Amino acid sequence: MNAMGFAWRSLVRQPARASLGVLGVAAVGALLFDMLLLSQGLVISMRDLLERTGFDLRVTATDALPGQGPLIPNAVERTQAISQLSSVRSAIALRFANAFVLAGGPRGVYTTFQGVAGTGAAHPWTILRGRDVTAGRPEIVINENTATRTRLAAGSRVMLRASCAGQKQALPPVPFIVSGIAQFPFDSPSGTTIATSLQMLATACGGNETNEADVIMVASQERAGPAVAVSDVAALLPDLHVLSNAEAVNRFERGGFTYFRQISTVLTAVTLSFAVLLITVLLTVSINQRLGEIAALRALGFSRWRVVADVFCESVLIVGGGGLLSLPVGALLAIGLDHILKRIPGIPADVHFFVFQPSALQVHLALLSATAIVAALYPIRIVARLPIAATLRDEVVG
Amino acid sequence: MSTTNGHIVEARNISRIFPMPAGPVTAVADVSLEILPGDHIAIRGPSGCGKSTLLHMLGCVEAPTAGTLLFRGDDVTQLSDRQRSLLRLRQIGFVFQRFFLLPMLTAAENIELPQSEANVPKAERRQRTHELLEYVGLAARAAHRPSELSGGEMQRVAIARAVANKPGLLLADEPTGELDRATGEQIASLLDRVNADGTALVIVTHDPALAERSTKILSMRDGRIESESTSA
Repeated sequence: MNAMGFAWRSLVRQPARASLGVLGVAAVGALLFDMLLLSQGLVISMRDLLERTGFDLRVTATDALPGQGPLIPNAVERTQAISQLSSVRSAIALRFANAFVLAGGPRGVYTTFQGVAGTGAAHPWTILRGRDVTAGRPEIVINENTATRTRLAAGSRVMLRASCAGQKQALPPVPFIVSGIAQFPFDSPSGTTIATSLQMLATACGGNETNEADVIMVASQERAGPAVAVSDVAALLPDLHVLSNAEAVNRFERGGFTYFRQISTVLTAVTLSFAVLLITVLLTVSINQRLGEIAALRALGFSRWRVVADVFCESVLIVGGGGLLSLPVGALLAIGLDHILKRIPGIPADVHFFVFQPSALQVHLALLSATAIVAALYPIRIVARLPIAATLRDEVVG
Repeated sequence: MSTTNGHIVEARNISRIFPMPAGPVTAVADVSLEILPGDHIAIRGPSGCGKSTLLHMLGCVEAPTAGTLLFRGDDVTQLSDRQRSLLRLRQIGFVFQRFFLLPMLTAAENIELPQSEANVPKAERRQRTHELLEYVGLAARAAHRPSELSGGEMQRVAIARAVANKPGLLLADEPTGELDRATGEQIASLLDRVNADGTALVIVTHDPALAERSTKILSMRDGRIESESTSA
């Protein structure tokens, strides 16, 4: 019987102890797995979301987030100029405001209001029903939440009262036609969003600021790539701030997202410490109950290496069993926790906090392997240094 | 190059001193002893006189702190831990007062274990295990775990385990100490049979009846051999 078989029989002999160990490691392993998914999940999810918009550069007036800094003047002309760069496929200017859609109730429905102008056919939304807005016409697309709450559909007529940056007076309602229902990538699950052309948004905002935008979104030519496009745009418009998706993600990582990684690192260290302590205690207790048997085996000629291997294999079996069990448990836990965290107001519906990556599995395996080794060190020390004769004497006297 | 002169064990003036906080304690002092093939030796003496320590030294479990201990001509103190383990595995059998069978293994598996450790081929060790179970009268209990066996049956399995690798020397430390008189008698008879089949036997015992079965009786006191008697 080899060391692994021997360890298996030792565990089966004490099913309660073995189950306790395996379940403990499964719980700790599940938490560890979730921490690994959380440490990079939001960043990966945000990167996917940015890439799904079809634009890989963002041009703003300052390094503030779009909608939170000053507007870009002469946005239409600048968008045109950017789109003519050889490294750029298309560019659109985007402006953010808010609006009450006067339908679905006495006060209407408060929405995020986007205006877009540009050279490309693509808009940063996807048409679900109806058709896209036509530049120059008083048309809007609305998201599903807005459609549900206002009971509007493609072809409906509706009045909007806009609320625009820098506009202190109450604006008069403006008539619009709903051209279609659209999905906006950054919408939260309960978010209400509508969009029109930049010109129509300016009209709704009182007719001023017709040529200003919060952000110019740029799609680079595939053969050039975003780095070249960033360089070209920065050279063309040195007063503006240009950011690729990768740079934006890096900024997120260095900013608020870093807290998730720090939290997950701390919790990972804590959970692993618990795992090590749990397994060490279980193995040590088990070995202390079997000192006589181990000493007898040594007297019968079992080598020091062999009894050490038996203990190590026990640790590997407990951690291995618990580790395997931890993956489905961790996956279920991640789904539940993701569901809870996505209830935070303003979080885009398509953003996930826990994202699976093969590297997470590799790190999980590596950390649990290290746990099995570290947890076995003390019990291994006990059996490796066990004085055979003294133990046999003590067992008889005891 | 080692020479054996036919001896299994040759102990010359061996001592074992344990360092203690209150001062060194001499467990065995200046003992000389020879064990030849087929010997049947009993070591007697009051508790704490050094019997078990001497047995452990003869079994290469514990090294003497002074003197020379040769096992088949090799100086035991010069062997590495691994070499001593191999020597015990292949040439020495141990029987303990408390049996120390592995509770998660069956009787057959307990007997097979030292053979497996000695890399005896599977078919061969199965055959040997079957023969040993027959030898100790427990063929019908092969699949039973120690918890399902009586004390006498457990000791019989332990004896079978001890001789599984066909050692030249069998050491037994109070082998009947946990058994009633009748069962102890059965175990003593089994040990006699093992000895009669060619294995040298050294028994540490308090039991005069068990000691009387030996051809040589060593009486110990305060770590020394006080007297030695032989019988026909």
